[in-house]
Amino acid sequence: MFLLLKYTLLYAVVLMLVALGGMFSERSGVINIALEGIMAIGGLAGILVLVLFQGTLPAAAVILISILASAVAGMLYSLLLGFSAITLKADQTIGGTALNMLATAAAVVIVKAYNNSATGGNGSASSKLTYSNKEFIFTAGPLTYNIFLIIGIVLLIAAYVFLYKTKYGLRLRSCGEHPQAADSVGINVYQWRYTGVMISGFLGGLGGFAYIVPSVSTWNFEVGVTGFGFLALAVMIFGQWKPFRIAAAAVFFAVFKSLANIADATFLTNLHLSKNIYDMMPFIASMVILAFTSKNSQAPKAEGIPYDKGAR
Amino acid sequence: MANSEYIIEMLNITKEFPGIKANDNVTLQLRKGEIHALLGENGAGKSTLMSILFGLYQPTSGIIKKNGQEVKINNPNDANALNIGMVHQHFKLVECFTVLDNIILGIEPTKGLFLSKKGAREKVVALSDKYGLKVNPDALISDITVGMQQRTEILKMLYRDNEILIFDEPTAVLTPQEIEELIRIMKNLAKEGKSILFITHKLNEIMEVADRCTILRKGKYIGTVDIRDTTKEALSKMMVGRNVNFKVDKKPAKPTETVLQIEHMTVPSKLHKNNAVRDVSFQVRRGEIVCIAGIDGNGQTEFVHALTGLEKMTSGKILFNGQDISKASIRERSKSGMSHIPEDRHKHGLVLDYTLEQNMVLQRYWQPEFQQAGFIKQGAVREYAQGLIAQYDVRSGQGPITIARSMSGGNQQKAIIAREIDKNPDLLVAVQPTRGLDVGAIEYIHSQLVAQRDKGKAVLLVSLELDEVMNVSDRILVMYEGEIVGELDPKTVSVEELGLYMAGAKRDNRSAEGK
Amino acid sequence: MSVGNATKNKNKKIDLSSGLLSVAASLICILIGLLVGFIILCCINGEYAADGFSRIIKGGFYLMPKGVGTVLSQTAPLIMTGLSVAFAFKTGLFNIGAAGQYTLGALGALYFALVLQMPWYVCLIAAMIFGAVWGAIPGIFKAYFNVNEVITAIMFNWIGLYAVNEIIYKGVIGNMYDLKTTKTYTLRAAAPQAVIPDMGLNAIFNTKSTTIAIFIAIVIAVLVYIVINKTTFGYELKACGHNKDAARYAGINEKKNIVLSMTIAGALSGIGAGLYYLSGVAEWNPQVSTALPAMGFNGIPVALLALSNPIGVIFAALFVSHITVGGGYLPTKYFQPEIADVIISVIIYLCAFVSLFKGVVLETITKRRKKKTQGTPDGKGADE
Repeated sequence: MFLLLKYTLLYAVVLMLVALGGMFSERSGVINIALEGIMAIGGLAGILVLVLFQGTLPAAAVILISILASAVAGMLYSLLLGFSAITLKADQTIGGTALNMLATAAAVVIVKAYNNSATGGNGSASSKLTYSNKEFIFTAGPLTYNIFLIIGIVLLIAAYVFLYKTKYGLRLRSCGEHPQAADSVGINVYQWRYTGVMISGFLGGLGGFAYIVPSVSTWNFEVGVTGFGFLALAVMIFGQWKPFRIAAAAVFFAVFKSLANIADATFLTNLHLSKNIYDMMPFIASMVILAFTSKNSQAPKAEGIPYDKGAR
Repeated sequence: MANSEYIIEMLNITKEFPGIKANDNVTLQLRKGEIHALLGENGAGKSTLMSILFGLYQPTSGIIKKNGQEVKINNPNDANALNIGMVHQHFKLVECFTVLDNIILGIEPTKGLFLSKKGAREKVVALSDKYGLKVNPDALISDITVGMQQRTEILKMLYRDNEILIFDEPTAVLTPQEIEELIRIMKNLAKEGKSILFITHKLNEIMEVADRCTILRKGKYIGTVDIRDTTKEALSKMMVGRNVNFKVDKKPAKPTETVLQIEHMTVPSKLHKNNAVRDVSFQVRRGEIVCIAGIDGNGQTEFVHALTGLEKMTSGKILFNGQDISKASIRERSKSGMSHIPEDRHKHGLVLDYTLEQNMVLQRYWQPEFQQAGFIKQGAVREYAQGLIAQYDVRSGQGPITIARSMSGGNQQKAIIAREIDKNPDLLVAVQPTRGLDVGAIEYIHSQLVAQRDKGKAVLLVSLELDEVMNVSDRILVMYEGEIVGELDPKTVSVEELGLYMAGAKRDNRSAEGK
Repeated sequence: MSVGNATKNKNKKIDLSSGLLSVAASLICILIGLLVGFIILCCINGEYAADGFSRIIKGGFYLMPKGVGTVLSQTAPLIMTGLSVAFAFKTGLFNIGAAGQYTLGALGALYFALVLQMPWYVCLIAAMIFGAVWGAIPGIFKAYFNVNEVITAIMFNWIGLYAVNEIIYKGVIGNMYDLKTTKTYTLRAAAPQAVIPDMGLNAIFNTKSTTIAIFIAIVIAVLVYIVINKTTFGYELKACGHNKDAARYAGINEKKNIVLSMTIAGALSGIGAGLYYLSGVAEWNPQVSTALPAMGFNGIPVALLALSNPIGVIFAALFVSHITVGGGYLPTKYFQPEIADVIISVIIYLCAFVSLFKGVVLETITKRRKKKTQGTPDGKGADE
């Protein structure tokens, strides 16, 4: 049971962070289907920092810069989405899909190139990186936590306050609902959409790192982040683009996801279901939920529609 | 400061878009404290001119002066800094925000990092008291009436201490009674020293509210006149460039047998919990034009959708030529002799990325005339389209293979009308068929409707335009909140009385049932 | 009549320039994508970059004739997934689910081949049906539950992947899994009747898996072209894609069309998987296959490069498999074959907005023409 709780917390934080990222992007009016790729890039950046600096720098510094590296990498990568979706007014879904594919391919190339040069260029073609995650995990009571739990809770509250209690949140939301209205009162729609996309990149990159690091100490980048970014999209929809509902939805999905991890070690083995079945569960759950919730969706009205200053 | 008679001057403004001159050497001078109307047909360049003043477009040439000083207005922020505000024709309000949030958007008061709405609320309440603009600052925009939304827009300008207020076609969405209220507010604002620019193509309103009027035609400046020295007829001649026949030429109707009989139709709403159409019953006969009048959003759209099959009814019956078609599909209704000129030609009427010829067979491509074993007969389609184009004078750049999107609104509408009339229907349902068109096109379409009637067809016209309702129809049914509240004779009823019905202030005691 | 002919000619000119521009737009995407690839090669190992780049450019021709044979056997399934995405685009749907449909198609083909020992054409039809079912699901969710087809397709990609792995690994519906190789049984050994005939192609190219699959794919591309452009069904599909409200108004059942379009798209992807596995190009590996098959996702750049034109899809698929095979010839000592994937994803990224750029150019061209004709008496038509 503790194991279930442990994995649920772990995955819930990741899903929440990434879904909050998606929320910021969509609330500003840009559909962010590239979350999967942003997570992969963020995870890659953070882990490369870990691999490079672990042991040479103090633990606290390594934690700090690796986390920052993941978030900043995600943010920079999301600029590519912003550029195509906002500046060039391209189809947001296609642009996002391209970025997902690019992220996996680029991550594999980078990791393989790194491994190749680390082994003296003997043609090693491993797409795996190995690191230590001890610094990120601490124990309190019967449970082990990781540092991202604290970061996640802080960012959840920050996201809520930003969105509903500041003028910036009001402006960002107006760009996703009615950009013409925002423009008519002098709000720069392009600027706020970039802001939304970059916040989503920041949270997505961080989420990618938070997904990979605490659970395992070796990661194969060929699999990207195994569809977690897409699950986060479902979490965001289920959470109706609202921070606290997203947090609740994340916990719900995390329970399903956790079942796969504990299947072999617990009472669930008696059910003789294999890992594949549990892996499927969160996706099936999200489809069932989407089928019932999408009729009265509260999606931002202008999401997915490029804003064109000329067309009124 | 007061060295100029005019608070705003737009001098010799020309604005060119690729391939079109929207404004050609236009001059507009606004005096302080006056209500100045800007009159012109659809497409005359009024909106472009106002967009330039509001900083949405930059003029190709010409200058703008405020209080005699030349100014540059590059964006709405500049306009705002010059105290210019605008109520757009399509309101710029965020639906899921409150009235207050919409008013402060862009100039939000803050305390430290956070929003602080207390002071703003007090200012809004004070302003709404002063000018009689009743709104609840905490209501969501999606929950309030169109009139209240318009008042929110006005408060947005007043909250920003704007001195020059632009109203873009403000009466299009209002009931006659709401229009009265708006006129009172505008006069009040002018009395308090605000200068008002009022864009419209409705002559009655200009005569009632404006001090002066500037007229545009096809992007060109025609003149500025003092309202005291002019008449409606003179204004209309300046607007259209010739004498306009306000009356539609037609003989008295000779209705014969019933084509359409609607019994107790009820249609649910997608926007709210109540029914959009409630227990509506009436008949349409051959040889008459029946008009459903009413303010936008009183169930007309849902009624037409239920009639043509685009939406489902919850109860009621539709008899068409004696057949019960209540459950028939859209295609079956179309096949049985019903034509539909839809309200929104871009949404329903045309596939804009299809060619004109493809659009001409939109409802007939499956007929043996145009297909064989599932393959479209391109030649037959081309020939048919060319025939219609010639007969109805549909003008386009490349004939049948013109992409519909590239055609002008009037010609798009002509194409739809050609298609629908050529189906030789027993019943022609025409919903706002003249919306957004110029006078020439309007006259043409009205004459086509009358011609259909005289051929013994039944015509059901749905219109929001009072002139159209009064001039074209043989019988008026007024729809209010989903019900038919009155049946009127256009020859005897006055516009004022019609307005009372439309606003729900008056209704027939005997319902129009069975009639 | 002469006037009619004149307009006809003018129209042809515009059509032609629009077509040329489309090709030009796609070529620009490809060139920039390749340039990015070259820069990456330079960054990783400047010394061998030129050599590596020439191997990518040469693609299959680097290793004649075997390489060309490999390109052809890779192209056949890619044409199918490209058609799948393009077909859905025509109905205004984005079929990101080609990968999942392809996975199910693989299951169908392998099950009928290995377990039921059916001949190859039956297996191909089975692959088609399996893919069609998986394609229909997002269509149904879109039409009847109002769920965006992209979200559904993504979810069902993963569900399909895990389900197929489970079925093959555990032998749920029969034994397809070879414990020794940890893959499905080799078709040529275990089910020779299910291998698509090669008509001597393998001998020509000195390969084992170059079959007539490529010709089957080309024939299907032509059929799809005819369906989309010449039939009432295509007319309906495109009407739904451009404007579903107008389609409804015209009496077209748009829900049925959404489901049908996705079903056909799924069937095309399924056939793609059939062509691949029934040619014996590779075997399914349920333990390593934790990532979705790239063949499905590569259908997206193929469709985009071809601007959804089914005939264009043939050439776009040839190009994409050409450089993918080229990437495989990169010396792993210096470079990673995934660089080809990077190039392809850069190309999709560019495709997302290059078609818009094309629209702008085309508009200015037509406007200029219009202006010219306005001077002449018959130019009165342009009353804008």
